[in-house]
Amino acid sequence: MLRLLILAAFVAYATADFGRLVECCSAEDRHEMQSVWKSIWSPEFVGRRVQVAQALFADLLKHRPEATDLFERVNVADPNSPEFRAHCVRVVNGLDNLIGLLDDPATLAVQLTHLAEQHEKRKGIHKDHFVAFGQSFDRVLPQVASCFNPDAWGRCFRGIARRVSDLLHE
Amino acid sequence: RLSVETLCEVEALRCKMMYTVLLLLGLTCVALASEPVCGPLQRLKVKQQWAHAYGTDAFHREELSRAVWKYIFEHHPAAHDFFDRVRGDNVYSPEFSAHMVRVSGGLDMSISLLTDGPTLDAQLKHLQDQHKERGIGAEYFDAMKTALHEVLPDFIGHSHHFDQDAWDACFDVIANGIKA
Repeated sequence: MLRLLILAAFVAYATADFGRLVECCSAEDRHEMQSVWKSIWSPEFVGRRVQVAQALFADLLKHRPEATDLFERVNVADPNSPEFRAHCVRVVNGLDNLIGLLDDPATLAVQLTHLAEQHEKRKGIHKDHFVAFGQSFDRVLPQVASCFNPDAWGRCFRGIARRVSDLLHE
Repeated sequence: RLSVETLCEVEALRCKMMYTVLLLLGLTCVALASEPVCGPLQRLKVKQQWAHAYGTDAFHREELSRAVWKYIFEHHPAAHDFFDRVRGDNVYSPEFSAHMVRVSGGLDMSISLLTDGPTLDAQLKHLQDQHKERGIGAEYFDAMKTALHEVLPDFIGHSHHFDQDAWDACFDVIANGIKA
């Protein structure tokens, strides 16, 4: 009986831990997210990555013009400059890593903490910017991916974004 | 008037010169043909082979990366010193796995940008800044190049199609941008 209780406690702990890790992103949701992502994000599709990443940032800055200041260091003044293009790709590539790691919670946890710390160092980024970026994905991805499932994507994206923006102000 | 002998000598000299010129041209052609280059077509091939090897599944990616890092640590044990912070002593730990994922993510980005020169240069500059303070010697970049062509062939489906020359040349483009 005791053994069973301990086991149950372990299961509860493990489930809760993953729940906390990426909230509300079920196994079905993450498979959905991975398959959408896979259909648009391959190094084989020449130029696609840059275009998708640029479109996401263009949408974000259109809706949150004040966030433009955050990207001065990467030459946001010229969104087609190599510096800004490379920056766009780095950000979305970080997401690519996370989407893959949804299957590997232990490693995902370390990587989410790493990204949260990286963002904490950048002054001026708020939790709200991550919410806005999520909305940009909702608007841009259906245009490039067929069969986009906004609910599944949204649940996993918001779960990830909440963790990455964990150490930031509202 | 030139004697017949002189004429023959002049002719012979001319022949010799022609022969030398042709020989030099021929050697240049051979040299051009065998020197591995990272040209536009090689870049496309490396991208395609990488896409196949890297895939999208996290465990598959970690398996590939882990084989690369094990090779590096096995052949350059001193490399461990650089990775104390991310548990280089245990390549199976979540800390080192996350590190591997970041490094292969950086490689993935650089490879995908091989066909977009200016953006690639901007990205390599960014990676250069990240590496500068860590003081990583040139030998470690070569170690990764060797590790990649030791490991990748097993991940691309048909190992005999692995284009080592293209990989070595294109990896040098990336490594030189980070080292410089």
